[in-house]
Amino acid sequence: MSTVERPPAGTHRSVPPGRVLAISYRVILRQLTSRGRIIALTLLAMVSVVAGFALGQADAELDDAVRLIASLGFAVVIPVVALVFGGAAIGDLRDDKTLVYFWLRPMDRWPVVIGAALAAMTLTAPITLIPVILAAVLTGVGSGIVTGTVIAGVVGVIAYVSVFTLFGVWLKRFIVWGLAYILIWEGFIAQAGPGAARFALRKYTRSILVDRTGADLDLADFSLAVGVIVPLVVAVVALVVAAWRLGNQEID
Amino acid sequence: MSDGPAFAPPSGPAAGQAAGSAAPAEADAAPVTGMIAVNGVSKYYGSVVAVSDVTFAINGGVTALLGPNGAGKRTLFRMMCGLTEPSRATVHLLGSDPRRDRDVRGRVSLVPQQDALFDHLSAVEFVSIAARTQGVEGPDDVARWALEQVDLDDVGEKKVGEFSKGMRQRVKVASALVNDPEVLILDEPLTGLDPVQRRRLIALFHRLGDDGRCVLVSSHVLDEVSRLGSRVLVIAQGRLVASGDYRDLRDLMDDRPHRIRLGTSDPRRLATALVDRGLVGGLTLDVASVTVDTDDADAIGRALAPIAVELGVRLTEISPLDDDLESVFRYLVERR
Repeated sequence: MSTVERPPAGTHRSVPPGRVLAISYRVILRQLTSRGRIIALTLLAMVSVVAGFALGQADAELDDAVRLIASLGFAVVIPVVALVFGGAAIGDLRDDKTLVYFWLRPMDRWPVVIGAALAAMTLTAPITLIPVILAAVLTGVGSGIVTGTVIAGVVGVIAYVSVFTLFGVWLKRFIVWGLAYILIWEGFIAQAGPGAARFALRKYTRSILVDRTGADLDLADFSLAVGVIVPLVVAVVALVVAAWRLGNQEID
Repeated sequence: MSDGPAFAPPSGPAAGQAAGSAAPAEADAAPVTGMIAVNGVSKYYGSVVAVSDVTFAINGGVTALLGPNGAGKRTLFRMMCGLTEPSRATVHLLGSDPRRDRDVRGRVSLVPQQDALFDHLSAVEFVSIAARTQGVEGPDDVARWALEQVDLDDVGEKKVGEFSKGMRQRVKVASALVNDPEVLILDEPLTGLDPVQRRRLIALFHRLGDDGRCVLVSSHVLDEVSRLGSRVLVIAQGRLVASGDYRDLRDLMDDRPHRIRLGTSDPRRLATALVDRGLVGGLTLDVASVTVDTDDADAIGRALAPIAVELGVRLTEISPLDDDLESVFRYLVERR
């Protein structure tokens, strides 16, 4: 070993948030990119393509096509994939105890959360949006469903990933809690009436679809503006809370 | 160090002052100060007390934090590094609270105990990321320099996921060097290292300490501590049970009451002879052995062979039953 000498000058300086964000994005993106996870989630998303193709071959009505995209693409594919990547973005670091390497550092913690969410979105978007939009095209019921699917898909990915990033920061069993939210809250309780549905992201993505297609779908009566803005506000709030929580929680 | 015995239970609220000339803090005395200053700190998890009322201060040089597994070393380290908040009182590094003061975190480094690394990164990438997150300029050059310090410069391009446990330990140490820390906290850093690397890392720690940095190394292995340096803090059951010079700890191990098992062909006659000569404080007889308690193990050692010859009994075994660190900890805890 050589003798200890000071490294080059420039130490003991705070790290700019932009640099922190870039580092966390790069590290977490690579951490999330496991071949098995991507293949499994792509196969799940491809189910919507097969269903869209089958519906298109059967000359389906517009309402049936929108119902398929809403119930498979926006109720299962996007939320589940967003849960796996969004929850794992910080949750995996906490579980495998590598979060400590982002901790005792002269930097803010909020860019770590933003970088993590962006990394999760980078993976969630292509895995979910391409198959779901393709499914919308294959139903063959016009361009409105495609436009609605694109807008609702982008909004859904941003909102679900952000919410599940918060789950990953806050909850130890984020997958269980996330599935409970998707299946029990959104899939069951929020279906009971418009009051509860207001607190389900699914209602907003459905509303966007209905606004663009004019299809007849239950619990989808918000305007396009509300359908877009509310989920994005939820996403921002979720990330702010996640950043606050990360800065104040105990680290192993 | 203290005015009393060089290696002593802390006075006042479990207080110790390592690496300095000041006397231990008294219960009502002013808070201790130093590069690391721990003032009456406690940590509870529900009803479980992980660390209880610990006070000490450390300055430049190498200090060993010695304690059995589960003694509270890791919790203490986590509080020092701001990873967890003390339930009571404060920990200061370089005069600041590392949990609240962002800037002080750039002057401190931690080598965590856990084995986890970003396995998909090469060693250079891992250490370079540590440098970037420490605000160091020229992070790639600094990373190579740091890897050189731990003899890993020739495998810097290999993924850390392919490294042995010892190499992973050294990568962690390298990543802790990148910011030229004034305070370096290492949680069991020698685990998994071969003897050569262990010796080299210890030499590195000493060079850093000699350079005026505060190097705090935890261990549960006495032999490691003997090489780490002369200053020792001993923690057991969440309390600082003693602090002082390692040589005094060694003396304490020799001077305290000992329990020895003596295998013999005639335990009863041997036991009687030892009691008659006043060499044992208590004993337990077995079929082929006698277990004795003594304050003077050396005296027994000297007397045993002549007694055996005199009685015509055969000695088959002489085994110290408590010549380990656990028993020293137990002794220190009990005598407090």
